[in-house]
Amino acid sequence: MSEKLNSEAFASDLLKQFEHILESDPLIDEVGFIHPSQFVTLKEEVGGSLSSSEGGVLKSQDALENGITNFWNRDHKLGISTQIVISLYKAAKNAFMAAHRQHKTSNDETLASEVLIHGRALLLLSCDFGTAWNSRKLIASKKQLLPIFMDELRLSALVLSYSPKSEQAWSHRRWVINMISGRCSTLQEIIERESELVEKIAESSKMNYRAWNHRCWLVSYMTREQVLHELKKSRNWAGLHVADNSCFHYRRRLMLRNLEGVCHPQENDSSGYNVKTYQVWKEELDWNEALIKRYVGREALWLHRRFLCLYWIRHITANLLGISCQSEPKSSVDNDIDSFLDHELCLLDSCSTVPDDVFEDFQAQAIHSATYMLWLTKGIDLQDKLGDLTRLLSKACPERSSLWDYFGGQLCARELDLSNS
Amino acid sequence: MGELAVDKHVKYIISVEKKKESFESVVMEHLRLNGAYWGLTTLDLLGKLDAVDKEVISWIMKCQHESGGFAGNIGHDPHILYTISAVQVLALFDKLDVLDVDKVSNCILIHIAGLQNEDGSFSGDMWGEVDTRFSYIAICCLSILQRLDKINVDKAVNYIVSCKNLDGGFGCTPGGESHAGQMNGWINHWLFVKSDSNIVKCLSAAVTAVFCCVGALAIAGALHHVDKDLLGWWLCERQVKSGGLNGRPEKLPDVCYSWWVLSSLIMIDRVHWINKEKLLKYILDCQDTENGGISDRPDDAVDVFHTYFGVAGLSLLEYPGVKAIDPAYALPVDVVNRIFLSK
Repeated sequence: MSEKLNSEAFASDLLKQFEHILESDPLIDEVGFIHPSQFVTLKEEVGGSLSSSEGGVLKSQDALENGITNFWNRDHKLGISTQIVISLYKAAKNAFMAAHRQHKTSNDETLASEVLIHGRALLLLSCDFGTAWNSRKLIASKKQLLPIFMDELRLSALVLSYSPKSEQAWSHRRWVINMISGRCSTLQEIIERESELVEKIAESSKMNYRAWNHRCWLVSYMTREQVLHELKKSRNWAGLHVADNSCFHYRRRLMLRNLEGVCHPQENDSSGYNVKTYQVWKEELDWNEALIKRYVGREALWLHRRFLCLYWIRHITANLLGISCQSEPKSSVDNDIDSFLDHELCLLDSCSTVPDDVFEDFQAQAIHSATYMLWLTKGIDLQDKLGDLTRLLSKACPERSSLWDYFGGQLCARELDLSNS
Repeated sequence: MGELAVDKHVKYIISVEKKKESFESVVMEHLRLNGAYWGLTTLDLLGKLDAVDKEVISWIMKCQHESGGFAGNIGHDPHILYTISAVQVLALFDKLDVLDVDKVSNCILIHIAGLQNEDGSFSGDMWGEVDTRFSYIAICCLSILQRLDKINVDKAVNYIVSCKNLDGGFGCTPGGESHAGQMNGWINHWLFVKSDSNIVKCLSAAVTAVFCCVGALAIAGALHHVDKDLLGWWLCERQVKSGGLNGRPEKLPDVCYSWWVLSSLIMIDRVHWINKEKLLKYILDCQDTENGGISDRPDDAVDVFHTYFGVAGLSLLEYPGVKAIDPAYALPVDVVNRIFLSK
């Protein structure tokens, strides 16, 4: 029994220390968990040049006696010893839940601040503890003050520094932005900073669906200038991360948003707008082709091309050319599609040769390119240009032979229909 | 190829129930009700539900909020994500009668979802985040409770259809998939414990959005909105060389997608497009044959979430000795039949 009391006292001491660190250094921008053995290395790395008070190691009375390090705080980076995480978590949870229960029955200001303080400690240990996020939303929505909302964005970013895939932390940001969107003069700036945050997190947390999903969500708040700016800005990043499908999906979202303006021409100065949109699409196609040739066998690049081409054929050529040059005869549009498809067939041809030394990448490139063409045939008629495609695929990728047979069969049936009519 | 180590997995799941002090179960306590669903459904699929105490029912009822919705654990806030788990577990035990059905469905309609939104979408709780996952849960839950007539199903279907992508797949919402200074990433370098466990990681993948949309449309009888060939194509491209399935292009395979991808393929009648034997072998290779449990990839650490999805995947592959699971309701077929045929 007394042992239990001791450990509870120890844990609540830890919590006090933890909350004190968070309170006294509001600029902390990164949190992580550190194994005890790593504290030693850290101390060595910082070197003997520092006096003990500057060394960043924070010890409780108890820890001092035992020579144990629990926290490390330096240059606004906070490390928590893995040895104490569970005790600290339990103390934070109990403190938060108690304050939360009391706060529900009385509207006391001190209780509200207890909920916030213990809730912050808890969320830095358990990122998806929904009840703690909810209690913050409740308090912030009662106060309706911009600085409080901005504090929430900061806390969420801090949680994301140790748990970049936390769904609740991302969702909290969206809630905050929804709350301030109507009455905040700096909304466009905030949207821009959000976009930068996603990019920073995506750098260390590869193919992070939640992060990119958040960036896609931001698009509906962007002006057309911002959309074009984002397209330009994210291009570099995408070129360096060609396997990250999420980034290409983001670009697709931006491009479709840009296209929405074309569908509602009355809202825009239509001809200039259309030319620009056409140009953006053409540049993306050329850039994608260059990447495909440079980075052999990348699935995400070929999937991006599926999107680009289908829209190019369906919407851009039909719609855009139709709107901007209404006098242009239909046959000319057909010619454009034809020459475009010829170009794609050339690309297929250049990607289908697998060198003798059979690198896996070239094999993958051949499969992706053939699959891509077969996929296009679902949307448009390529007639007799694709005879060998299913045979090639069945040979290169026999695992999916049922799929190839199915679509190959559809292709043959269509050709038969054509020759009969 | 090894066989399914049924007894070991049963033992593992029961041991997880009791290990409340481990790091994993401590940081997951806010979604304990989801964990109960994963573990108990697995036991039922393996024909061993009677190995569990009925105490779990009274624990579940303690998770119910005064509004009628359920929280992930006692004293937490309610969310539609946990409400579905509560309803599913009660259905497993044939105990739906302990629920005040109108209270629960009203809660989905009013308190949790703040009513169905104008565009037909659903929110997860009173704070308004919209996601097609919540549409699936609302439709699935109300269907099990036989209260689907309380919502505008056509509108709900239209919203889901608006989340369709060009590749035939679906997103969470319409349109939905640094070295800033030297010290950046400094802590991550020292990061020892990753708090984003395998479970959280898997819950946020793109194919969960596909499953939820296809599942919701299946229950609503609106699968004609799906381009089955196109979606089937995208889904079967999730199978990688090892036989396992991934959740998005260029990602590693993971056992949980055996459920998300396979159930979707079955619902749209395109499951013959993947290599079932290789997938079966992949799932069996992810077992811990000594201590029980299934992991995301061979030789990784097991958890109850992947154990459930592995067994559910085997069930969809008609593995002998495993009960059949319904691909839309994510409950054993006999449980679903009991709900709809006995009335």
